[in-house]
Amino acid sequence: MEWVLFALIALPLGTTLVFMLIPSRYSQLVRYTALAAAAAMFLMSLLVFIRYEFEGGSGLRFDLQLDWLENIAFLGENGITLHLAVDGIAAPMVLLTGIVILAGVFISWNIDYRNKDYFILLFALVAGVFGVFVSQDLFFLFFFYEVAVLPMYLLIAVWGASSNFGTFVRTKEYGAMKLVLYLVAGSVLIFIAIFATFTEAGQGTFDLPVLGEATYGETFQKTFFPFYMIGFGILAGLWPFHTWSPDGHVAAPTAVSMLHAGVLMKLGAFGILRVGIGLFPEGAQFWSPVLMTLGVTGALYGAVSALGQKDLKYMVGYSSVSHMGFVMMGLASMNSIGVTGAVLQMFAHGVMTALMFANVGAVYDQTHTRDMTAFGGLANKMPRHTAFWTIAGLSSLGLPGLAGFIAEIHIFVGTFQAGYYWAGALGILAAAITATYILRMLASAYFGPFNERWASLKEMRFREQSASVLLIFFIVFMGMWPKPFIDRISETVNNLPGIG
Amino acid sequence: MIPIENFLVLSAILFSLGMYGVLARRSAILIIMSVELMLQAVSINFIAFAVFLYPDQFRGLIFAIFVITIAAAEVGLALAIVLRLFRNRATANVDEVDILKW
Amino acid sequence: MGEVWLIPAIPAAAFVALLLFGKYLPRRGDWLAIGAIAASFVIFFPVLIDLLDNLDQPDFTGGGRAWEWVSLDAFNIQLGFHVDQLTIVMLAVVSFVALMVQVYSVAYMRGDPRYGWYFAMMSFFAAAMLTLVLADNLLLLYVAWEGVGFGSYILIGFWHERRSAAEAAKKAFITTRIGDVGLLIGIILLWREAGTFDISEIFEFAEGGGYSAEYLTLAVLLLFAGAVGKSAQFPLHVWLPDAMEGPTPVSALIHAATMVVAGIYLVARMLPLFELADPVALSVVTAIGLTTVMMSVTMGLTATDIKRVIAYSTLNSLGLMMVALGSGSVTAAMLYLFAHAFFKALLFLSAGSIIHATERQDLTELGGLSSKMPVTSVVFGIGALSMAGIFPLAGFWAKDEILNVSGDNQNWVVYVFMMLSVFITALYMTRLFVRTFTGRPRNHHAQEHAHDAEPMMTVPLLLLAALTLVGGFVAFGSVGEALGFPGGFGEFVFLEEAEAFHFPWDVAILSTLIAIGGIAAGVYFWSGEAAPARRAAQSLRPVYRTLANNYYLDDAYQWVINHVVLAGGAVIGWFDRNVVNDTAVDGSAGLGVFAGFGMKFLETGKLPNYALAISLGVIVISIVFLVVSV
Repeated sequence: MEWVLFALIALPLGTTLVFMLIPSRYSQLVRYTALAAAAAMFLMSLLVFIRYEFEGGSGLRFDLQLDWLENIAFLGENGITLHLAVDGIAAPMVLLTGIVILAGVFISWNIDYRNKDYFILLFALVAGVFGVFVSQDLFFLFFFYEVAVLPMYLLIAVWGASSNFGTFVRTKEYGAMKLVLYLVAGSVLIFIAIFATFTEAGQGTFDLPVLGEATYGETFQKTFFPFYMIGFGILAGLWPFHTWSPDGHVAAPTAVSMLHAGVLMKLGAFGILRVGIGLFPEGAQFWSPVLMTLGVTGALYGAVSALGQKDLKYMVGYSSVSHMGFVMMGLASMNSIGVTGAVLQMFAHGVMTALMFANVGAVYDQTHTRDMTAFGGLANKMPRHTAFWTIAGLSSLGLPGLAGFIAEIHIFVGTFQAGYYWAGALGILAAAITATYILRMLASAYFGPFNERWASLKEMRFREQSASVLLIFFIVFMGMWPKPFIDRISETVNNLPGIG
Repeated sequence: MIPIENFLVLSAILFSLGMYGVLARRSAILIIMSVELMLQAVSINFIAFAVFLYPDQFRGLIFAIFVITIAAAEVGLALAIVLRLFRNRATANVDEVDILKW
Repeated sequence: MGEVWLIPAIPAAAFVALLLFGKYLPRRGDWLAIGAIAASFVIFFPVLIDLLDNLDQPDFTGGGRAWEWVSLDAFNIQLGFHVDQLTIVMLAVVSFVALMVQVYSVAYMRGDPRYGWYFAMMSFFAAAMLTLVLADNLLLLYVAWEGVGFGSYILIGFWHERRSAAEAAKKAFITTRIGDVGLLIGIILLWREAGTFDISEIFEFAEGGGYSAEYLTLAVLLLFAGAVGKSAQFPLHVWLPDAMEGPTPVSALIHAATMVVAGIYLVARMLPLFELADPVALSVVTAIGLTTVMMSVTMGLTATDIKRVIAYSTLNSLGLMMVALGSGSVTAAMLYLFAHAFFKALLFLSAGSIIHATERQDLTELGGLSSKMPVTSVVFGIGALSMAGIFPLAGFWAKDEILNVSGDNQNWVVYVFMMLSVFITALYMTRLFVRTFTGRPRNHHAQEHAHDAEPMMTVPLLLLAALTLVGGFVAFGSVGEALGFPGGFGEFVFLEEAEAFHFPWDVAILSTLIAIGGIAAGVYFWSGEAAPARRAAQSLRPVYRTLANNYYLDDAYQWVINHVVLAGGAVIGWFDRNVVNDTAVDGSAGLGVFAGFGMKFLETGKLPNYALAISLGVIVISIVFLVVSV
């Protein structure tokens, strides 16, 4: 069973090789290969989640250690190893990735332009994402992090869409360039902090469990926690470093937006938790008021910005900023309820934002506009699509019974427990503003009298519906029965240092 | 025995001449020749120190031979470039060859 | 009876079944929804008997089983149920009215393209509302609270092709959501000190002095904000009149009998905390309730949509209940709630019959319907008289009880306003009845086709009318004992000590006289061609305008939304795009480009320049080296 994590990384990488062997004129074969691989990844991630053993105490599951470099130069024993394992935080994230890639392949079905190259890049990206979530070695964590970020550039710049908004233009090259430059800037900070951590620990290893045992001086922690916080925070859409996100989403093709908002932004929050808080609890404690402030600001700012958008993708993009602000609030609360809530929110937001982007894409494919004021009464023509949108929206505004509520209530309660009354109150207000922009969008685009301009509109394709149903299943599952998630997450969170 | 200072002064004079040539001349051929002068100045230094410090070893001498070899190869390459340049631009004046800047 | 959970579970199961298989069921599964709510209504009786048997046991909760839904450290949400006298009253109201309304809907909604979906959502709403009533902890209550809000959203916007319905649904959800911000904060504040969401444990904690007075006051006022939103109290009442865009049975169930009284129920349930908090908390409740009463009765005078008038009367009733709670009387509030559910559902459903028959709902197009729709006019009249507070209808007993407690516990200003509201209530209810059923028909086309509805719709009306006639008598001790209760309503539902029914004749006679005066004035003003009313409207033009425009509150809110909220969104959006992105982000990138542009001139392309730079570099390094090494 240990090899399942290795297989999770090897499968997408191997699939990219298989794609290279397929002549590009067999585009249908490419699609089915992608579907088979994605389904296998989904099943494996489900396996990782379900077969997570609770008896093992606080330790790591599916532990696998392959030596790579050791006992040379500055490296000691286990210097750099491919150390793969999951804990209760990583397990839901692995599942999330499996879900979103399967849905993403369904959504990518109608890509015709060089679809082989598209899937090669998409699978390379997914390999990186799986790698980050399961790596227990700081070197490989960073390596996979970069692997996940870089294919994004080509995916957006080649398969994306440029948009003209009248008063301003956003080209796909601009979106791609900004996204990559921003994330690489974050990587620089992380890279510095990784070497500082390595030197300070003095163990000659990048192995995270070993580094976690080491002691770091308080001043050192306070100095270097912000490097991780901002470096990873950039990828998590931490306010005010969020602007790559809405523009990136607007430029990206649908499935890339899904992966990007659904999974990639979670890498950032995951990094803050696993590396930042995991290694430097005292530093995190010291900086938590700042993180809380930035998180609340992002939550409110994103929600209010979303209120001012007419473009559907901008709206969803800003709502991602807002929801990632909730994640930051949960992390900053530094108690088990809040941090558990943050991880829950990462999962919940991942699934529902993927659903939102899938639905935006479904409309955009047919209408070639995303201006919500240009629609009206689409519910008449696309009842199922409207239902999917509504469920995603209700989850994001925190309706009980859907995933978003479970996550947000934990975050709010954790925030209050940590004593940040003002932040908790503003967070709840941000959730109410979420209701406003979601319902406004639904009322203007989907309800009301039907706009005859869209008379030729058809219901979503079957594959797009399948993807939506898959995502909705998990939204409802987590909303109705969150126990499997909470048990796994809280078990690990309670053992993190500095979580009270 | 001739004191080492003499060799060093000779080497310094040669090196300075070469450097002046590189900086002041505009003809590519003359610049290459000046570079050769500087290389030979270094070679003299190597040999002088080698003989004075470690008379029974060959390390410095080997370096001098290395320098000569590399100088030969370098001249071969540089002259070829100058030749191509002259063919294309009908000049060997380095001031007129600046198309590779921004 | 430990199986209380079945009461919400059966409609919930029906909802899931209808959602998944509704399309394939005969008659789209309406029988399943009705059967489910009927089953809940039947299970209500053993629950009631169980409670009556255990009344003398202070620890009895009647909850039976509980499930752990979320559990993490001090934070856990139980699916736990609690039965007490308050719950029983609400259960009776909700399950009975829901059953009546669903039966009525079979005929009312026949032929609608989304017939099955309607019944599915009705089942969902019933499940959520019953959970809300039974919840033994605040967070489960909040969950159900949001659930009923969602049901209301979908059902108001049921005919979402109409722009007005879509907007009304949105408005209802968002407005109540604003109140819910307060509710959730209040719940978490209560939890933070007590470490539990369980309502009875929170009471114990509070009675032990666990909360400081200021903290508790803040928390209960935040809870009250939730009630203000849900029960449509001033200043968040604006959604309720618009909510009439939904199908009329929905209005009867959700916006009269059940969901809107959830706020009343919440305050009644948490009243022990209000009593422990600073007295200002209860004063706020009274003030908000009274403001709502006075605004709604005056707006009821000018509204011309038959459903909107009834909606204002609902606001009126909700305000009265809040005043009762502000006076510290759970008994009066719950008695009114009980009576109100029947007569208000009756009013809405008879209005539905009128709309169904004439396809008109504006008073300017109705009139003279009593001959065509005799049954409807009689039951409507009963409902209207009950609302006006005429002996011996249910509304009379309940309203007098509220007047009593407000006379006892409030200062005379409140009392005077209450009496004034009695007058105006009678006035506009008379107007509604007179304009609809008497006089000359104003639209002959609509008039010709009018007829009493079929039995499927009429039977629920008659049942509700019967209850409106006799429902008030539960206040009497002898009636209660005959039915197996420990006494009258006041001896069954109370906060601190049981109170036998007493009947102050002075209040009763005064209020009856005032109500009769209101009816007489209404007949004078609006009968026939309503000439006196027109003259009054002419001479009081600014007042009339203000009332007809709902005190311009909707316009004011719309202005705030357009010019503050949306403008704020647009400004932040603009700020993000132009300042954060184009200036800060692109600007720093531009700075790099500019620096590169400046630096590139160092590259001259002249070989001697490079050679000179190398030479100088070597010399500088040598000098530095020399200086350092010496």
